[in-house]
Parts: sequence; C-alpha cells; structure tokens
Amino acid sequence: MPVVTLGGEDVAEIRDVIYSPEAGRVVGLSLNKRGFLAGRRREVLTAETIHAIGRDAVMIADETSLILPENSPPDLGAPPSGRDVTGNQVLTEGGASIGQVKDIVVLTGSNGEVVGYEIDRAAGGTGYIPLPKQLAVSGSALVVPDATKEFIEDDLVGLGAAVDKFRSEPGIQ
Amino acid sequence: MSERFTAASGRTVVSRTSAEELGTLAHIVVDAKRRQVAWLVVGKGRKAVVVPWDEVSAFGPDAIMIADESALKAPRDDREQAAADGKLELIGKRVLSDLGNDLGKVTDVVFDPDSGAIESVAVDQREAPADSLLGAGSFAVIVLEPAQASAG
Repeated sequence: MPVVTLGGEDVAEIRDVIYSPEAGRVVGLSLNKRGFLAGRRREVLTAETIHAIGRDAVMIADETSLILPENSPPDLGAPPSGRDVTGNQVLTEGGASIGQVKDIVVLTGSNGEVVGYEIDRAAGGTGYIPLPKQLAVSGSALVVPDATKEFIEDDLVGLGAAVDKFRSEPGIQ
Repeated sequence: MSERFTAASGRTVVSRTSAEELGTLAHIVVDAKRRQVAWLVVGKGRKAVVVPWDEVSAFGPDAIMIADESALKAPRDDREQAAADGKLELIGKRVLSDLGNDLGKVTDVVFDPDSGAIESVAVDQREAPADSLLGAGSFAVIVLEPAQASAG
C-alpha cells in the first residue's frame, strides 16, 4: 500500500506493520521506497505521525512525518521479538482454542486501531474475531474472553458490526 | 461565468502586443492550498512552457491572452518541471480522501476564468466542492472524505 502525503505525493510503500498486541494498536510502519525493485527506506512512521490508514493508502501530513529509527520511540527503533502475532494460538479464558492468527484487521480511517484478527479456525476455514481493547499475549498464544466465540464472523463486513456489539458486552473492555 | 478544464484544453494562447499565436493550452495546474489556478502549461511545438496565472491578462472563451512572449517561462524548479512534463495534470488523476480511501478519478475541474479560483472538482459522477481540496500532487489529488449520507 502506498504512503501518500496530503499534498498528493507518494513517498513510500508499506514494508511491514509494527504492532503492539498488548495495546491493540499499530505503533508504526516500516517502509520501502516506491517503485520497481526499490529497496528499503530507513525511516519509519509512528502511529502519531500517521494521518489515517485507509483502504487504499496510508496518509501522512508531509515528508517530515517520516522519522529515522534512532529518533523514534524504543518500541519502534528496535521492536522486541515476539511482536508478530501471526501463527499464535487464540485461547479463550475457559481454555478452548478458537484457532490461529492469520492477520490483523485495522480500523480504516483511524491511525492504526486494530479491531480484530483474521484466524484459521480450529473448526476449519477462515474467520474473523473482534478484539477487546486489551488482552494477554505471550508470544505464542493470546487469551481472549469466552464471549469471543459467539462473535466469530465469516467475513470482514460482519466483523465491523461484531466489534461494536462485542465491546458493549458486559465485562468486556 | 464558470469555465471547465476539459473545455479550455487546446485553446489558443495569444500575445496581446503582437497578436501572435504563442501556443495552445495543454493543461492547467492548481495550487491546492489557495484553491487557485497556479500555472497554465502551454504547448509550443514540442516544448511545454509554463505561464503563471498572474501573467494571464484574459482567459477568454476563444483565446487566452497574455501580455507578450516573455510571459512564457521555461520551468525553473522541480514543481514547474513536473508541471511541464504533464505530471501535475489533474484530469484523469486518482483521487484519495484524507482518510486514505480511493474515490475515483478527476474528470473535470470548474473554475472562475476571471479570478482563477477553483469552484469544484468533478470526481467520476460526483462533485467535490473546492473547499474539500487538500492537495494536488504527482501521485494523487487529495480531498476531504465525503461525509456519510446523513439526514438534513
């Protein structure tokens, strides 16, 4: 996905998403240069300097939003290992496995709020689960409220509504 | 009276002093922050030159009048070079909202030929008002995300 300034110039391409599972949000993005066979860009984007993550582009104010890793918060400059949640097992508080994390789902229009995970369901097939605002993550597994089971959706369209309903459930925050 | 970019394209550019034809309008470059026409890009043989809006003495229905040939400037910086190369042409450019969603392509731009003020930008079948225009670069035109349909 391209990184575009509000002035309409494309300045970079997303290389990787730096995600904090504990905070439930994207803390930054690492970048590639734009164009065919272009290499890595040293600069990163922090969540604070992202104007919005949309369906088709990541918007930033201007090129000054790109910062060098040594000037960025420690989380970003040297992300601790175990931040990659893909492949992690999703366990409910009751100890049942729902499946494995395939991908993270970011709320579009926000600057990186993660609202759900795409999972390989233990029962087979792909599903989408809404996330509470915070949850426990170990690096190999994450624990979600029991109620999550009731909110597994087959597609992203269903997930949007499920997130709102799920987060308004008693005992979920 | 309003003028459209698509209607104005190809119009003859004439010197007021010599009455000579100096070229034809290739396209128009806007200053998105000021919501104003910034330059006219004029094709002259195979070369493209830029004319700052201030040098246009009249943007008429049949011809664009400029004082004389000295108003035609070779590109002086990167942005003017990009303009002359056609990279800042708006028609056909992709439109992104400030929230990062693709809204389509620019099909036309409506402006006031007296002041050069941009009035609206046509994006596919929709009109984006000039005050929603945030930026116009070589990659995309940026407008405010249209409000969701709401009552009133």
